[in-house]
Formats: sequence, C-alpha cells, structure tokens
Amino acid sequence: MHGIAASQPYVLAFFLGWAGLLKLFSRRTRAQAGQTALARLVGAARAVPALVAVGLVEVAVAAALVLPPYSAAEGAAAAVLAAGFLAYLGYAHVAAPTSSCGCLGAHSRPADRRGFGRAGLLLAAGLLSMTAGPHPPVAALVVVEVVILLALSAELDRYWLTPSRRFLVRMRGPLSVPPPGDVPLETSLRLLYLSPAYCSASSRLSSDIRETWDEDGTRFVVYGAGARTAVFAVPLTGDDPSAVRVALVEEPAPA
Amino acid sequence: MARSKSPDPPADLLGPVTGEVSWFCCGTAWGPCSSTGKGACGTCNSGSLQHAWPNTSDACWSITRPDRCGVGLSRRTCGFRHRTTALCGGASVVTTIADCGPQTDLFCGERSCCGATCADNRLIDLTPAAFSRIASLSAGLRPCEIATG
Amino acid sequence: MTSRRDLLKSAVLGGGATVVAATALGSLGPEAAFAETAYDAEPGAPDPDFAEGRIRTIKDDTLLVLGSNMVFHTIRIVNGTSLWKLGPVPFEAAKPGDGLYARGVRMPDGMLAAESVWLNIVNIKGHIKNITDGKLHLDHHGKEVLCHVVPGKSVAIQAQAPPTADLSMLKVSQHVQILGAWRPDTNEVDIATVFSPH
Repeated sequence: MHGIAASQPYVLAFFLGWAGLLKLFSRRTRAQAGQTALARLVGAARAVPALVAVGLVEVAVAAALVLPPYSAAEGAAAAVLAAGFLAYLGYAHVAAPTSSCGCLGAHSRPADRRGFGRAGLLLAAGLLSMTAGPHPPVAALVVVEVVILLALSAELDRYWLTPSRRFLVRMRGPLSVPPPGDVPLETSLRLLYLSPAYCSASSRLSSDIRETWDEDGTRFVVYGAGARTAVFAVPLTGDDPSAVRVALVEEPAPA
Repeated sequence: MARSKSPDPPADLLGPVTGEVSWFCCGTAWGPCSSTGKGACGTCNSGSLQHAWPNTSDACWSITRPDRCGVGLSRRTCGFRHRTTALCGGASVVTTIADCGPQTDLFCGERSCCGATCADNRLIDLTPAAFSRIASLSAGLRPCEIATG
Repeated sequence: MTSRRDLLKSAVLGGGATVVAATALGSLGPEAAFAETAYDAEPGAPDPDFAEGRIRTIKDDTLLVLGSNMVFHTIRIVNGTSLWKLGPVPFEAAKPGDGLYARGVRMPDGMLAAESVWLNIVNIKGHIKNITDGKLHLDHHGKEVLCHVVPGKSVAIQAQAPPTADLSMLKVSQHVQILGAWRPDTNEVDIATVFSPH
C-alpha cells in the first residue's frame, strides 16, 4: 500500500509535466486555443494566456512532485489541479459540448468519457499521493498507470489507435466485396444525375422517385413532373450518362 | 491567432462562383440532429430557408479553410443573403446565413457534375427546406452557382 | 399496373429522348418554369411548403407530424406523392416515430399536400473512427453514429469514380459524408451513399 501511494507523485509528475510543456511550447496547441472550451470559459482573447498560465502551474507542480523532499502538500496541489480538470471538463461538456478540451495537445474532439476517466484517475492519484510516505515507488505500477493514462488520451489516438484499427481492417476486411447481385438503385441514380437527360428535365421534376422497376437490362425511374410524369430509362450496365433516355408523359399519377 | 490569407481577391466578389452544395440539419431536431443546436448564428432551423457559409468569422474560417482548396470567399455574416442556383435545371433559392460551414478543406478537389457541367469544392450547405427547393434531398450533393441574393 | 408500366416504357424507349426539348412542355425553358412557382417565402423564414418533424399518428392518408419547433403539421399523402426511406417506398413504410422532411403545397386549411416525403433521411459528415463487420463507426460532432452497410443498397462514391457497392476502400480516420436512413430512437443509420473525397 505504501508503495502504491509512493508511486503516485511520479505518475502525476510525468503527466502534468508533459501536459504543461505541451501548453507552453507547442505552437499548434496554442494556435488552436481559440477552439477549446477554455476560450469559451475565459474569452477567446484570453485563451492563450490562460493556457500558458495553466501550463506553468502544471510544470511547477510536476517539478515539486519529483524534486525532494516530498511533502503531502505537493500531492494536495496535484489533487486540486486534477479536481480542477474534472470541473473544467464538466463545464466543457455542458457549455461547449463541441469544443475540444485543449488538455494535452491539439485535437478537435470534444471531451468524452475517456477524458473524464483520465481526469478521474489523476484525481485519485492526487488523493493517494497525499498519503505517500518515505517509501520507494513501484516502478511497474508507475509504468502501468502511465500507459493507462496514455490510452485514455484521445489526443494520442492517431499514433496508436488509428494505425492499429487500420491494420485490423486491412487484415479482416469487414467491408469485403459483396457478391455480385442486383445493381443498387443508388448506382443507377448517380448515372442518372450525370446525364443530359436528367439535367434537361430536372427543372420540371416536382417529386422524388415515385416508382422504379427493372426490365430488359434497363432500370425505369419515374418522377412526378407537375401534372405529368417523367420517366427515365437508365441502362443497368455501362457508365455512359448519355445513354439515359427520358420522356414526359401525360398520364394520371399512379393509383 | 494567425490566419492565412485567402486567395486575393475572393472569387465571389467578381461574380457568381460555382461549387458543390449539400444539406445539413439544424435546430434541435430528430436523429443525429438532436445535438446540432441552432448553428453559429443561433437562428438555424431545418425548416427555414437558410444556409451555412464558410467565412462568417475568423474562427469559422480557421475551421472551414476554403483557401486550402484554392478558393477565396468573402467574409459574410449572419443574415446575409445568397442565391444558390442548381447547375442542373436552373432552380434557385435565396437563403440567409445561419451557420458556419461546410468544412471545405476536408473535401478539397471533390467534383459534382450534371451533364457536361461540373463544379468543384464544397462552398455552401443549405437547410433541408432550402435544398429541397432546388434538388431532391436524396441526391445529397449537387453542383451549383452561388451569387449574392 | 403492368399496362401502366408498359405505357411508360414505350414512351421512354419508343419516343423518349436523351434530352427534353425546352419547348416540350410549352415553355421556353427553366426560367419560365420557375416563374410559375413564384417565390413566396422570405429568405431566412420558415418555408410554408415544407415540413419537418416526427410522425405522431397516421390516419388513412394523413400524417400528423410534430415539428421540432413543437408545431403540428398535417401532411396529406396524395396520389403520386413520392416517399423515401433508404430508397423509394410505399406509404405503408411510414411508421409513427419516423422523422421526416416533406415538401408540397400548403392548402388554405393549413394541410400540406405532399409531393415528396423523405422518411428518416440524414446527411451527416464525420470521421470514420472504426470499421467493424458491415458497420462504419462515424465520429459526428464528437458523438458516435453507427452506420450500417445494407447489401444491395449502400454504395460509395470516391472522388470521380463511378459509384460502387464495394465499400472496402473506406479507411479509418477518413472524412466522409453519409446519406442514409436513421433508425428511429437510436444512434444508428442505414447507409444509402457514402461520399468520400479521396
């Protein structure tokens, strides 16, 4: 138990130090400050100074946590910071649900469950670290916790989650080629939209598709055209839009 | 915030521009629209004759970035009128700006055609009410011409 | 029905053309056609000939729809009204709980005589977060929308290529637009078309 508590300052220092340095030195992070929920909280003009101030506090607390001697007050400062993050995420979720949190580098995704999980874990680590005594940390635990925190960081997804998903998709082919069957209606419609026939008649169309059927290698597509009916004949094979034919027919609407 | 300059002068100052038009829902409505809200101007509704424009503010421009596709567009703010004309058939609708969008840079170089007439890049998004005046909602994406209304 | 289809078929294959002549309908062109439908709606204002909302009840040929602005619309399905629900469907496909957009002509009594009704249609943009068996997990404004590939119906349009029912070219983290049909009261959508720019 003592080892667990003694490990927390290192976990917190790693994470706060990293987050702080990104806020202070990443130009991209500062460039996107205007799109974070922080901008909503303090105003767009003050978003960058506020981001820098938070970064300075994070770096200061991280440095205090790793530099001896350790005191419970340092753990308390980290816990207060983590509680602040949690409150900020809550605010962002309610007040600016589409803004990113700007917590750990630039990305455009709003705060989600993983963001809350990460802030909660940091808070727990901060509270635990207040009870830390002069005991050696458990290196394996520090590594595991840091890995969990990284895994909860959506900002880093592009480095590991996206490539691994792409790899799995390539291996498994979840959208593998369907067996050749009927030509989807959408395929015929895209050919129709490209056709001179549709272009010349579209100003007359007053409804979407009323009816469609296939016959003799041709797909017939019927639209309303005011009091008339527009019928298009779209070849089921080939991709030549000029092969599409149209007729405007005087006939009552289908019963 | 540093903002990269758009190609100068904006193409829409010289006359109508051609581009792609799509549609989007807004107002707190059904389906995935439930969380969309009333748009950047706070007035957007799917049933009203409105549109989204990529250059309503610096913050908007920094998201949509049509300049990355080589397109300059003028700054126009909430309530400004545009006329969108379908290149296919010539139907048109006049709408007012109610939101920021579309994200032109994410679809850079995309092209829609009608007959031999084509238009590149997404420059405007209409509400369902407006889009359905000039094309079918199920078409999703059409070439158009945009002029001041 | 067969004779009617035969009539339409012979019209388009017999006398049909690859373009409609401007004078075919007794007018000079699109401008004249649109002069007929005089512009009667104020830009920025609700379109009187359009309705949006969810179906509360269906009685005979009439849909009672509650708009998201809490205004009720009565929509009459007439002969020749087109209905869309992942493609053209018959009137029976409309169910209470469906979301809809409808365009038509507003009658003096306030009823909308519908020309087109689109049920549950959505047109959303986002990043593909993940791809699992027959499903795209779309990040749409920070919320996940599960988009189902429907065999025989879903197609993808990538750049200038013709549409294809083979969606295997789609990649994780790609930005796409998905036109489809929402499954009411879920975060799921059936895909009609995926527009992928690259």
